[in-house]
Amino acid sequence: MKKHFLLPLLLSMFSSFALANEAELVLDQTKIPTDKASVLRGAEQVATVCGACHGLKYIQYRNLLELGVPKETVDAWRGDKPLNTAMQPQMAPADAQAAFGVVPPDLSLMAIAREGREHYLYSYLMGYKANEKGEIENRIFTVTKMPDILGISGAADDKQREEIGAKAKDITAFLNWAADPHGEDRKNLGIYVMIYLFIMTILLILWKKQIWRKVDEMGPV
Amino acid sequence: MFKRTLAWIDQRFPLTHFVKDTAEYGTPRNLSYWWNFGSLAGVVLVLQLVTGIFLAMHYKADIATAFDSIQHIMRDVNYGWLLRYMHSTGASAFFAIIYIHMARTLFYGSYRAPRELLWWTGQGLLLLLMATAFMGYLLPWGQMSYWGAAVITNLFRATPFFGEQVVHWLRGDFQVGDATLTRFYALHFLFPFIIVGAVLVHLIALHTVKSSNPSGLELKQKDIIPFHPYFTIKDLVGVGAYLMVFSVFVFFVPNTLIEAANNIPANPMQTPAHIVPEWYFLPFYAILRSVPDLAGGVVAMGLSVLIFAALPYLDRSRISGGAVYRPVYRAMFFVFLVNMVVLGYVGAVPPTDRTIIIGQVATLVYFGTFLFLPFVSKKEEAFLIKRGLPPAVMDSLK
Repeated sequence: MKKHFLLPLLLSMFSSFALANEAELVLDQTKIPTDKASVLRGAEQVATVCGACHGLKYIQYRNLLELGVPKETVDAWRGDKPLNTAMQPQMAPADAQAAFGVVPPDLSLMAIAREGREHYLYSYLMGYKANEKGEIENRIFTVTKMPDILGISGAADDKQREEIGAKAKDITAFLNWAADPHGEDRKNLGIYVMIYLFIMTILLILWKKQIWRKVDEMGPV
Repeated sequence: MFKRTLAWIDQRFPLTHFVKDTAEYGTPRNLSYWWNFGSLAGVVLVLQLVTGIFLAMHYKADIATAFDSIQHIMRDVNYGWLLRYMHSTGASAFFAIIYIHMARTLFYGSYRAPRELLWWTGQGLLLLLMATAFMGYLLPWGQMSYWGAAVITNLFRATPFFGEQVVHWLRGDFQVGDATLTRFYALHFLFPFIIVGAVLVHLIALHTVKSSNPSGLELKQKDIIPFHPYFTIKDLVGVGAYLMVFSVFVFFVPNTLIEAANNIPANPMQTPAHIVPEWYFLPFYAILRSVPDLAGGVVAMGLSVLIFAALPYLDRSRISGGAVYRPVYRAMFFVFLVNMVVLGYVGAVPPTDRTIIIGQVATLVYFGTFLFLPFVSKKEEAFLIKRGLPPAVMDSLK
């Protein structure tokens, strides 16, 4: 008897799942690059453009050297601040509050702090559009106070859109690194760990077979 | 020299006796790999203890610095990211293993006499594990940490007469705050050691009643083999396979098990759009939400975890081997598992009219399984005896 309402239950479960998805934001699932060149270009964007208002409290200038940003560039960005200072916004938080009505959030973890993670971030940067009244709106985060810095809402043609998209990807790539600076080491180490565990498990299986040979010959109980 | 030292110790402490007893523990030779999950739970417990203690050396239990100290561990501590990801993934792994361990017990009817105390100590361990995981989840002091703790401690408001006081007593404050964080940290450190003690009790009970086996029958003496080397090596194979699955999560997708909202520092002024517990609490959370009344929901949720303890009495069939020879019990087992998944889904999504109904039906199925079991198991037994069972099973009924 219990089995009879199982099927309708499962069906209704999946249909409600589909409904829930339709209501949600559709994020742009464009692949975010992971190569060093993109991350470094993104670092420049974040340090020189985003850095006007946003800080990265968990990233110090020395971390940028470790990432591979040239010494002269880091020196230009940090001015007279020591290497082990966190990346602070150029605009004082109080001034930003006065200008925008909100303190711009820290970007250290921004790539993993929203549902959808890197795709949310990219979609947000690319989400500005002029509405019927001519006002610029963001379709991802409608109440945002951040202006359309990359200028996607005013892109004239596909070529320009593509250029802005590339910048947004680089920024996202850099913020992915900033959120998880050991990500690459982790994956590299993971490959060795997997190979080691695989060989170890094979050997353990063989060893087990050898120990159990006599017992296995006894057949089922 | 070694022999003399050992003799010296044995005169004063039963070391040889203990090692011999453990190594020679008589184990049924027909145990399947489903019997690996007990030892795996032990391995995960040790990994959690070790990684936890090293994390504790760098963590700061203070609302002003807790979130930053996690980032310090992730970024500046040598292999801190490995410790933290092993610990956060290990929590999920622990529950996955315990749930499989419990499902095996249910499927093979391993909870039945004389294994009631083994089953109940296991139940106690599950409750301790849940409490430990819940308190540990507050420590990163992210948005989900904060609001999860706020929602769950708030449930104790349902306590008759003293609701308000109990909630304040648990939090140490009117709100979840610094007092809550420090006490959760202290208890999160203490509980694992209580778990270690409870595991010893669980193992003593196991060594008294011995392991059950897939046939559910008493095996002949020739089918009982020593634990070592047979099951030490078999458990090691399981550990190898487990570590591979675990490592995939730790090294390649460690963030899938961490809510995005928990990468935002706790903010008491801003409720996240959607508060969800960790996956291992979702079915119970769904049951809580399926009852329209707070007190009723809390009671239903508590009962949904505790009701497993009644199984030795609810299952009245004397036929051995749990689901092996019992088609109706087997069907109920699988319906129960599917129902668990349905409840998990309902617990994960924001409530809508439709999911509320699904949750209520699934809650009824959940408790219905337990309530009908005494009746169904007795009927099934009578039917199966009439239809005929393998001779060994029939003999065990006499």
